[in-house]
Amino acid sequence: MAAADSPSTALRRRDLCSRGIRLAGKMRADVVDLLDTYVEQQGLDASATVAAMEGVPLAAVERWDEQTGTQRLLENLAAYRAFRTLLAQMLEEQREQLGEADAGLGRALAAVLLQVSAFTYHLEELLGLESRGIPGEEGDGPPPPPRLSLFEQKLRGLGVLRELAQWAVRSARDLRQLAKPSPATGTAPGLAESP
Amino acid sequence: MFSRWNWVACGFYLVLNICSPDASGGLVQSCGHIIPESPVLALGSNFTALCILNESCLDFGNIYANQIIWKIKNRVVPKEQYREINRTVSSVTFNDTSSLATPLTCNILADGQIEQNIYGITVTVGLAPEKPKNLSCIVHQISRFTYVMTCTWNPGRHTFLDTEFRLRYSWPEEVFPDCIPKGVNNSCTVTDIQFFVNTEIWVEAANALGKAESDPLVVDPIDIVKPLSPQNVSVSSGILPTVLKLSWENWISDAVMTLKFNIRYRIIGDTSWMEVPSEDTASPRTSFSVQELRPYTEYAFSIRCMKEDGVGYWSDWSEEKTGITTEDQPSKGPPIWRIIDASHSPACWTVHLMWKALKPFEANGVILQYEVTVRDKSSLSSPLKKYNVTSTNHTLQLPKGTYEVTLIARNSVGASPPSVLLIPESNTKAPVKNLRTLPKHDKLWVGWTAPNSYVLKYVIEWCLVSSSSDCIIEWQIALGDVQGIDLKGIKPFKCYLITVYPLYADGQGSGASVKAYLKQDRPSKGPTVQTKKVGKAEAVLTWNHLTVEEQNGFIRNYTILYKTIDGNETVVTVDPSKTEYTLSSLTSDTLYTVRMMASTDNGSRTGPDFTFTTQKFGKGEIEAIVVPVCLAFLLIVLLGVLFCFNKRDLIKKHIWPIVPDPSKSNIAQWSPQVPAKHNFNSKNQMYPEGSFTDVSVVEIEADDKKSFSEQDLKPFDLLKKEKSTSEGHSSGIGGSSCMSSPRQSVSDSDEGETTQNTSSTVQYSTVVLNGYRDQTPVQVFSRSESTQPLLDSEERSEDHAGGADSAAQRQQYFRQNGGQDENNIDRSCFERAKQITHADEGDLVGFVQLQISGQSSQPLGLGMAKNTQEAALSNILQACTEGQAVRPETVEENPLPVDDMPKSYLPQTVRQGGYMPQ
Repeated sequence: MAAADSPSTALRRRDLCSRGIRLAGKMRADVVDLLDTYVEQQGLDASATVAAMEGVPLAAVERWDEQTGTQRLLENLAAYRAFRTLLAQMLEEQREQLGEADAGLGRALAAVLLQVSAFTYHLEELLGLESRGIPGEEGDGPPPPPRLSLFEQKLRGLGVLRELAQWAVRSARDLRQLAKPSPATGTAPGLAESP
Repeated sequence: MFSRWNWVACGFYLVLNICSPDASGGLVQSCGHIIPESPVLALGSNFTALCILNESCLDFGNIYANQIIWKIKNRVVPKEQYREINRTVSSVTFNDTSSLATPLTCNILADGQIEQNIYGITVTVGLAPEKPKNLSCIVHQISRFTYVMTCTWNPGRHTFLDTEFRLRYSWPEEVFPDCIPKGVNNSCTVTDIQFFVNTEIWVEAANALGKAESDPLVVDPIDIVKPLSPQNVSVSSGILPTVLKLSWENWISDAVMTLKFNIRYRIIGDTSWMEVPSEDTASPRTSFSVQELRPYTEYAFSIRCMKEDGVGYWSDWSEEKTGITTEDQPSKGPPIWRIIDASHSPACWTVHLMWKALKPFEANGVILQYEVTVRDKSSLSSPLKKYNVTSTNHTLQLPKGTYEVTLIARNSVGASPPSVLLIPESNTKAPVKNLRTLPKHDKLWVGWTAPNSYVLKYVIEWCLVSSSSDCIIEWQIALGDVQGIDLKGIKPFKCYLITVYPLYADGQGSGASVKAYLKQDRPSKGPTVQTKKVGKAEAVLTWNHLTVEEQNGFIRNYTILYKTIDGNETVVTVDPSKTEYTLSSLTSDTLYTVRMMASTDNGSRTGPDFTFTTQKFGKGEIEAIVVPVCLAFLLIVLLGVLFCFNKRDLIKKHIWPIVPDPSKSNIAQWSPQVPAKHNFNSKNQMYPEGSFTDVSVVEIEADDKKSFSEQDLKPFDLLKKEKSTSEGHSSGIGGSSCMSSPRQSVSDSDEGETTQNTSSTVQYSTVVLNGYRDQTPVQVFSRSESTQPLLDSEERSEDHAGGADSAAQRQQYFRQNGGQDENNIDRSCFERAKQITHADEGDLVGFVQLQISGQSSQPLGLGMAKNTQEAALSNILQACTEGQAVRPETVEENPLPVDDMPKSYLPQTVRQGGYMPQ
C-alpha cells in the first residue's frame, strides 16, 4: 500500500471498496438464491454435506484479522479467479445437461459469473491502487478438474456455490477492513474483526 | 444510298450486341460500362463517372466516345459536364451530388440520330452518420430479480442511407454483446445488467459513408435504477383516532440496494395530496405510522421508493390504499339559528330552530343525536326544557320572551361543546352598516362594516327571491372578527335577498338587507306596453314591472321607443320604478308604434310593439264646435219662429188657403134651416173643451151665427184657435179628416201624428159645375187625392173672393156645394177622425150604435125624403166610404134619438164623383 494516498486515490479506493462490499453482498444474496434453485433443479438435498473439493478455494482462514490489506486482496483475487473458472465450467455443464430447458438456472449462473468477474475487476483495481502489480493468471487457469460423473458434477457445483457464498461474506469484511482510513502503511494489520 | 444502309446495319448490330446472348456466358453483351458501379455518394460532394466503350463495338458499330450522351433519369446531362478522355472513354462530372438521380445512364447517339443506351448505374446519395448525442440510460426493475437497462440517444440527422446503431457496453475486462435496436434508431434495452461495476456504455452509428460513436457513458447500473414501487400496501387504524399505520413490501433486496420512501395521502374526495416529511421516511423500512390525521376520516395512501442515497430514480407511486381513522368526540357544536314566526299571535312565537350538520372533520364520527336545551331567561324559575332530536331542526311554541338555546351534538365517543343561541325578545341592538356584495367567480362576497359594539358572530341569511314561491332561507354563521364572507351555491341571474344579523353577547342586532345578483344578464323579456289613454297630442303608456325571474338583474331603467310609420324613432328613458308614462307632443291622428326596453347592467331586452293612433280632435274641441252650432241653430229657429209669428198673417195668406165658409154658401142660404146647431151642441157635449189639440178645422163663419147659442159656438172658437196653429197642416177641408184612415186614427193616440197624416194628404176639392135640378149649376168641389198646391184657378177664385171678404167667398163656396146636411155629414166625417180617440168609450159605443141606427134610419128620419134622395144619400155615404173606409164609429153625430134628429135638407142632385159634403 502506498505510504500516503493522494486524495483521488483514497477516493477511488473508497469508491471501489464501497462498490465491492455492495457487490459482495448482492453476490451472496444471489448465490444463496441460486443455491436454492440449484438444489431444486439438480435434485439434491439442501442439507447434503459436500466435502472439500480440489480447486475450490476455501473462505475459512486462520488469523484473518492479522492479514494485511494486500494479502487480503491477493487471496480474494486468487479465489475469485478460481470461482470464475469453476462457474464457467458449471455453466457449460449445466447447458450440456439441461440445454435450454431451464434457462432460468443458466441465467442465474451467468449472472453470478458476471458478478464474480466484476468483483475480480474490483480487486484488480484495488491492487493497482496499492502500487502492486496485478499477478497474472497462472497459465490458462487452474488445471482442468478430473472428469467427474454427473452426480459428482452436481455435488461439486453445490460445493462451489456454497463456498462462493462464504467468500462473498469474507470479501465484504475484507473490503470493509480496507476501506477504513488507515494512516499506517498497508502492511499494518487491520483492526481485529470477526468474520 | 449505301451510307443509309450502312447506318441501318450499324444500328442493327448495336441492338444485337446489346440484346443477343454473349458467348462468354452473359445474356447481354454490353457495348460498354460505367465506373464506378452503383456508388454511394456523400450528399454535396462532387462525383465523376466514366463510360468505357468496348473495342468490339468500335469496330463493328462504328461508335466512339464522342457520341456518348449522359442521362440522369431520362434527363440529358449538359455537354459541358462531359469530357472525352479517349476514343472509348467519356467522363461526366457533377460538382454537387444533390443534383444526381437514379439511374445515371451512358447512351450512344448513333448515325441517324438513334439513341441507344449503353449502360446505367444506380447512384445512392446520403450522409455519413452523425455522432449520437445525449446518451442516457435507466435501469427498470421488472421483477424482484430482473432488471433491464434502457438507453436512449439522439441519432442525429437523417442520413438517407441504411444506418446501423449499436449500443455497446463493457467492463474493463469484459465486453458484452452489443444491443441492436429493433425498429428504432434511438433506443435499446439491455437485459443482463450487473450492478456495482462501472460500466462503459456508448453508441455506434455506421452506414456506407462512415461510422460515428457517441461519448461513452460510464455508470454503475445500480445508480440508475428505477425500482418497482412497494407492493402489498395495507392500511390499518391504530388506537389513536388520528393515526393510521401503513405497511408494505419492498421488491428489491437490501443486498442490491437500500431504499428510502415517500408517502402521500389525501382525504377521500379531495384531490390534493399531503406528504409525510421525507426525512421521516429516508431510511429502509416496510411500515410507517401516519399521524395527525382527522378522526373518522377515510384516507387514501400511496408510496414510492428509490435508492437510499438518492442516486437513481423514484419508483412510480404505488396503487392507492384506503383506511379510516377511528371516531373521536365532535370537536365543536353545530352552528344554530332560528326563524321566529309571530304571525299567529303576537304574544306567542313559533320558533323554528335549525342547525347545520357538523362537517365530517368536526363531527369526528356519526352524530347519533342532538340535544336541545331551552332556558327562559326572563323567568328564572322556569325549568329547562330538553329535547333529543335526530334531525337538524326543531320547532317550539314559546311565549314571547328572551330565551337561551343550547345545542349539543353527540356521537358514539362523546358530546360536542355546546352551541348557544340567545333569542332576545326584540332585536334592539345596532345593525351592521354598509352592507354590500361583490361577485367573485362563482361565489358572492358579502361584506359589511361592523357595529361599534363587540359582536360575537354574525348570521348571514339569504334566499332566492321569487315571484311564485316563498323565500327559502339559507343561512351561515361568521365569526365576529370577520367583516365579509363568500356565499357559495349562488346561482347566476337570480336575485338574492341577503340579510346580516349581528349577534351580541347580550342580544341581537336588527338585520340589514341587500339584494344582489351573482351575475347579471339582460332581461329574459321586455315589458309589454300599452296605452291607457290616447289624446290628440299625448298618450299615456302603462306597463307592468317584469317579474323577478324575468329581470335577470337589476332593472336600471326602462326605455320607451316610439315612432310614426315613417318618422324617426324617439327614445325616452324612464325610471324603473314607474309603470306609467305620458308621451307628449305627438302628432294628431297619427299611427304610432311604441315598444319598451328594460335594461340591466348587462343588456337590454325589448318588449313587443304596440301601435296606437292619436285622436283627431282634442278634448273639448268637439264640444267647442258643437255647442255654438247648436246654440246658433236654436237662435235661428227662435228667430224664425218669432218672424213667423210676426208675419203669421202673411204666412197664413200664402200657406193656409182660405176655405170658403159653406154656411155662407148659396146653398146654405138657400137651405131652409140650419141644423148644425144641434150638431154643434152635440159636439160640444161630446168633446169637451181642450180635447182638440190638433185637428183640421173648417172655419165656418155662418151668417146665422147668431142662431147658435154661445155654448154651441164655443167649440168653434176652440177650433178657430186650433186652426191658427194647424193651418199649415190642413187643407182646410174637413174631408182631409175623412181621408185619414179611421182605423189609423183610432189606433193612433198621437194626435200630432194624426195631424201629420192629415196634412200629408191635404186634399183639395174640385168644384164640379153642375146644376141642381133646374138651378144654375153650382161649382162643386170634387175631392182630390192630389197633394199639389191649389190650382191657380182655385187660388184665383179664392183670390177673387179673398181679401177682406174672404168670409163671403167661403159663403159662396158652401153655398154652391151643399146644405146643412152636407155640412153635417162633412162635419161628422171630420170629427169622427179627430175625436174618436178622445171619445168616451161608452159614448163611442153608443155613438156607433146611434150612427148605425142613424144611417139605417136616415131614410126613416127623412121619411119625407124621396127615394131619389136615398140614392143620393147612398152616394154621399159611399163617397165618404170610398175615401175613408167609413166605419160606423166615424159618425160623430150625437146619439140623439131618431125622433130628436133635426130635420135637414140634403142636396139630392150631387152626382157621383162630385163633391160630397161629409
